Amino acid sequence: MSLAIEAHQLVKRYSGRGGSAVEAVRGVDLEVESGEVFGFLGPNGAGKSTMVRMLTTLMSITSGTALVAGIDVTAAPDRARQQIGVALQDAGLDPRQTGRELLTLQCRLFGQTSGAAAARTSELLALVDLEDAADRRVKTYSGGMKRRLDLASALVHEPSVLFLDEPTTGLDPASRLTVWDEMRRINSRGTTVFLTTQYLEEADQLCDRLAIIDEGRIIREGTPIELKKDLRRRKKLRSDPTLDEVFLDATGRSRERVAGEVQEVSA
Amino acid sequence: MSTVAQSWMLGKRALREATRTPDSSIPTLFIPLFFLIVNVGQVAEVFPSQETAFLFGQSYAAFQLPSSLLLAASFGSAALYLVEDIEGGYFDKLRATPISRTAIVLGRLTAEAAKGVLITIVLVLISLPFGVHIESGPLGWVLLVVLAASWGVVFSGFMQILALKTRSAAATNSGSLIFFPLLFLTPNFVPRNMLARPMEIAATVNPVTYIMEGLRSLVLQDIQWGPVGTAYAVVAGAGIIAVFLNVRTIRNYD
Repeated sequence: MSLAIEAHQLVKRYSGRGGSAVEAVRGVDLEVESGEVFGFLGPNGAGKSTMVRMLTTLMSITSGTALVAGIDVTAAPDRARQQIGVALQDAGLDPRQTGRELLTLQCRLFGQTSGAAAARTSELLALVDLEDAADRRVKTYSGGMKRRLDLASALVHEPSVLFLDEPTTGLDPASRLTVWDEMRRINSRGTTVFLTTQYLEEADQLCDRLAIIDEGRIIREGTPIELKKDLRRRKKLRSDPTLDEVFLDATGRSRERVAGEVQEVSA
Repeated sequence: MSTVAQSWMLGKRALREATRTPDSSIPTLFIPLFFLIVNVGQVAEVFPSQETAFLFGQSYAAFQLPSSLLLAASFGSAALYLVEDIEGGYFDKLRATPISRTAIVLGRLTAEAAKGVLITIVLVLISLPFGVHIESGPLGWVLLVVLAASWGVVFSGFMQILALKTRSAAATNSGSLIFFPLLFLTPNFVPRNMLARPMEIAATVNPVTYIMEGLRSLVLQDIQWGPVGTAYAVVAGAGIIAVFLNVRTIRNYD
């Protein structure tokens, strides 16, 4: 099986306040096989989005190497971009364009002729069920529609690797299920999906394998079943734990502490 | 696909954006027009057409028109729309495409050029009833419009750098206020040789002065290649610096 993503000793260091260095990602090694749905989990600030931004050429790499579809993202970023589709945490859409205009422009920016761009746009609008809203401005779309349009815009060039950074955050349950269906459909066509999420149920449902990152380091990696069995064995549990319990064990967080963090955020 | 073609595609998108937010163009027309009327109203009596050599027989409004054109050029919206793109995530979407980084910079500036041409033509047409005529003829008209629009593009280019560095609408908006001292440290009301010495020195080192003098010569006289050439050289030089800094900033953008 060929590798869709390879990262070796990947480091991202920022200069923080007072000149001190902050390491958001600390020497991550990662291998994702072609055709997988790979989940990347971690608490807030663990380094998930930083990893996605480095792998998608949106952020410089301090040290280490990263290859996507066999292409070094630092040495040949434009070639890598031809293979990468990306939908980030905030749906990156232009609210003043219509859905059709936005997708057509995106197709053209990936080098398609105007005829091919129009055809691909229609195909994608049908895929994400936005044909009726295609000629409305994006600012009139609901959150779920925006997310589906963002997903479509990441697919214009039929990427071999699709990066989805918390694609269902803030969506209602129906929209979330629609995005899951799209993700499965995209993956069934052979596209590798790299998914970051905070919803452990989502990871459990969708991912072939997953990694948990905390404080910039990968602390667990495997299939959901392997991770659950490992915890069951180590803790001598009578039944398989949930992925939530795996996550809490891996990150050293207790339910109380997580609840406390939530309270702090919402205060 | 060439950088020019990519810039044009992004420029068309920015133009569509402008046509869908026409209210953003109102201050660009209204404020320069307001200053033209107020300045002419305050000073025109001091400089009667027939007795003031530097007016070349035209009204004082003709002398003031270049100031209003330069003021209009400072109201480019490219940088603010860029901040919106950054805040909304669309800028990252563009950066994730395999297009040239220069095209991302030039896309919005292409639209600014088109808007600059339109606004300059409208302002000059509005000024005609004030006794203004473009003495340099049809070629002068073209040179005037291109010069004013080009300066608008360059100014927007510098504002884009600010937008890319600060990623803040408030900071970018404040940055445009830098233009006001530059506009007033010029031979705004009288020619440079009539300014008090310290002001004359300030005007001489201010590049905006040469653009104003180039525009003014096109309005008041037959084509004078000296000031016009100097104005174009200043705009070209500043433009090269602006594009270089934009591209460097966008390449290092994390």
